[in-house]
Amino acid sequence: MYGAVTKGTPRLRPAQNTLPAADEQLQGGRSPAVRSLWLDDGPRNASAALRRPTRARTYHRAMSPPAPRPHAPADLGRTTLRWFTGWWRIIHLGAVLLVLSLSPSSYREPNRTAMAGHIAVGTAPTLLWFTLLSSLISLVLIRIVVVTAASYGLSQYALQMVVRVLVLELIPLTAAVFVALRISLPDGREIARMRARGELDALRATGIDPVRHEVLPRVMAGVFSVLMLAAVAGVVTLVLAYLTVYGFTSEGFDRYTRTVGQVFSPAVSLIFTIKTFLLSLAVALMPVASALYDLPRTRSRTSAELQALVRLFLVMLLIEAASLVGNYY
Amino acid sequence: MNEQPPASPPPVKALEFKAAVLLVLLLALLAGSALYVMYARGVFEATQRLVLIADDSEGVQVGMDMTFSGFPIGRVRRIELGEDGSARILIDVPKKDAHWLRESSVFTLVKSLVGGTAIRAYSGILSDPPLPDGAARKVLAGDATAEIPRLMSAVRDLVQNLTALSRSDAALAGTLANMQTATERLKGRHGALGLLLGNDEDANKLITALERTNTLLARVDGLTTKVDGMVTRADAQVFGPEGVMPETRAAIAQLNATLGDARNTLKKADALLAEAQGVAANAKVATADLDTLRAEVESSLRKVEHLVNEINRRWPFSRETELKLR
Repeated sequence: MYGAVTKGTPRLRPAQNTLPAADEQLQGGRSPAVRSLWLDDGPRNASAALRRPTRARTYHRAMSPPAPRPHAPADLGRTTLRWFTGWWRIIHLGAVLLVLSLSPSSYREPNRTAMAGHIAVGTAPTLLWFTLLSSLISLVLIRIVVVTAASYGLSQYALQMVVRVLVLELIPLTAAVFVALRISLPDGREIARMRARGELDALRATGIDPVRHEVLPRVMAGVFSVLMLAAVAGVVTLVLAYLTVYGFTSEGFDRYTRTVGQVFSPAVSLIFTIKTFLLSLAVALMPVASALYDLPRTRSRTSAELQALVRLFLVMLLIEAASLVGNYY
Repeated sequence: MNEQPPASPPPVKALEFKAAVLLVLLLALLAGSALYVMYARGVFEATQRLVLIADDSEGVQVGMDMTFSGFPIGRVRRIELGEDGSARILIDVPKKDAHWLRESSVFTLVKSLVGGTAIRAYSGILSDPPLPDGAARKVLAGDATAEIPRLMSAVRDLVQNLTALSRSDAALAGTLANMQTATERLKGRHGALGLLLGNDEDANKLITALERTNTLLARVDGLTTKVDGMVTRADAQVFGPEGVMPETRAAIAQLNATLGDARNTLKKADALLAEAQGVAANAKVATADLDTLRAEVESSLRKVEHLVNEINRRWPFSRETELKLR
């Protein structure tokens, strides 16, 4: 089943495979008009886009990253402004995508096909691997926790701890990281490459909204992937925990159910749901948003991706911290 | 860009189907998990309410279990502060488990040293009427940590006492030494007697006294035999055919007869007395008549005297003028 899905990948992602040579040519070969269509939304991007032809101007030298200059207050102000602008763009894109995802027209034929393709191609192979890996790690952790708790005579708390640590905290986070590395970052890179080649501008020129047609399916697929991985791994971990503690019997079901019920109080369930959803949104949105708005520089390409990754991890850390505060304070 | 549309159609349908399967799977998982959690939280169970009133609800958490014989039979739903300042712990007990709780059930709130607080129910008499819905009960609180200071002070006192007892100059040591002497005496020639009397002379005296008592007892035995013979003889004399008792009985019979005679005699005396009474009455009457008679005799005599005087005056042949009345 998943083999067939994987085979379809190259055809769905033509940008990666059909035009590999054109990438380099397109980096510098865009017309200023096309560039301004995408890069007219901030001083930083505009200046960076024009950096190469007008390198001698002091205004642009200040903006170029390698320049080793002492920071002036004006620089600091600009950096802060850029920082805020960057975040604002991400939030704005998130809001736009949320609105688009709620409008039924986004699920009409061409979009639906693209979305289905991204969901199937992105999630299916990842799901299998992730479930296997998370089961293995869960099994080891469950075993360690149960055996240690039993040795201290606290086995009645072992199950609660397993459910809390694994299902509530570790699995959503792991699923988010997994999806970020396997799906969202490649998607972001793809978008960045398409943008660099001018494919998005071309789409816009033909009257198709690239945000709706290219970005929304990828983001939706990312959100879906995180939710799917977290749900499957969570259920599998719950089953594994039961089997580890009680073995292959149905005798302990009532007790186990009661323990799970104690852990999933309404507040905890709500926080868990919101946290998982926010994590999935962050993971799906941020790499794509970074690719859309940041300048694809040939020399520091890795650095831009790394920057997106760091920003993503920062957001994930904040969400996780907020959920912990909500759960345990 | 232009080559893509013709290339994509064939895999799209399969992909769309896969995507639909994945979507359905996710929805099923989410719905199933939600239902399972709701079931685990007891949303679908019919419950009845039990209110436990405690002085202190510390350690009690919403969602924790109330156990009966180690089995969870209820959940804490709410904890609120009552109007009198006591903590009210509201517990939902599933109807199917409610029969374990009776009118006479006792509820305890135990705070252990390690681990959380536990609410336990105990039903001693399972034939009592079942606990009604919404019943409010006082909960007995047991706090292991609260006992520690008291326990420590008690242990300290105990240890001090033990130290005082086990000192070398303590009374216990003296007692033990005395005990040692006593046991040695016990092992001696006179045994327990020597231990009781303290020295051998007294023990000897006691033994002599015992021997003499034995002799005395033997003599008392002989004496008793003699007394027995005497008693037998006295018995024969008193109760035998020639004894005192039969004669006494005959004497009593005679006495009875004599008494009957005496009674008859007395009756006769009674009659006699009655007659004497009559005689006396008659005599009284006669005495009254005698007075009249005397008065008449006196007047007759005066008349005779007067007559004699008259004769003497007229017939003076006698010098003696005195008339003697006899």
